Amino acid sequence: MPISISKALIGKEYPPYPVTVERGKIKEFARAIGDLNPFYLDDRVGAASEWRDLIAPPTFAITFRDETADTGSMLRDLGTDISRILHGEQEFELFRPLQPGQTYLCRAKIVDIYEKSGRSGPMAFVVRETTITDRTNEVVAAMRHITIVRL
Amino acid sequence: MKYAKVYFDDVMVGDELPPLVKGPVQQIQLTRYAGASADFNPIHQDDEFARAAGMGGVFAHGMLSMGFVAQALTDWAGAGSVRKLGVRFAALVRLKDVVTCRGRVVARSSKDDVNLVELEVWAENQKAEKVVTGRATVILPART
Repeated sequence: MPISISKALIGKEYPPYPVTVERGKIKEFARAIGDLNPFYLDDRVGAASEWRDLIAPPTFAITFRDETADTGSMLRDLGTDISRILHGEQEFELFRPLQPGQTYLCRAKIVDIYEKSGRSGPMAFVVRETTITDRTNEVVAAMRHITIVRL
Repeated sequence: MKYAKVYFDDVMVGDELPPLVKGPVQQIQLTRYAGASADFNPIHQDDEFARAAGMGGVFAHGMLSMGFVAQALTDWAGAGSVRKLGVRFAALVRLKDVVTCRGRVVARSSKDDVNLVELEVWAENQKAEKVVTGRATVILPART
């Protein structure tokens, strides 16, 4: 039976959550992709670089999860479950590379919800934006995430 | 040569990224990516769950394919060069699929000493079906 998704969630802001980037997590993430770039993996190459330490690969911010703001909590808000979702679109804007030892603050917000019919039936598109700031409140990165819910 | 330095001055609209071939995708890589990204959706791990969900079996995290596309960009333009990357997940990547990431320069501009190169990027499977399509902006150094 089709489910329905409440548009009342448009505009919902999740509580900001801090993330401290671990050196090992950057390496684990790069290796999982099979991207062996030394700027992600070799501490000495990082130290000698313009960034003075390792940097994270471009999609690393996807690991910035929090139980109050992650997909699971959004799914509870939407009244659906994980077997119905697909990742529709994803965008990263990176003003500076993310680096180990740094603590960032993430602010996630649902900015739009709309419905469309696809090959596999009706679907809802949930658009979420997350802004990532550093300790000085400067925006370091931003993500735009579109989750598709199969209704 | 991998990780050769690319300069803004040498890049022209229409230039193509060196293709990056990834895979064949194996279950172990999806399990590894789940751990690395903390995305434990069983749809990428448990074939029975994925079938029951109507997906016809396990498929790869879209973010893994996006990671491949990001690698194609940074292998060419350098680590730390990506200013923007946005993609649509156009089709599912299945186990044993070989994913080839490609790109083409569509614009270049300089403003306040920052040199931006815009690319159309995509990834395709072994049947030449597009699995990821998108746009990217990278910052490149100028020859001095």
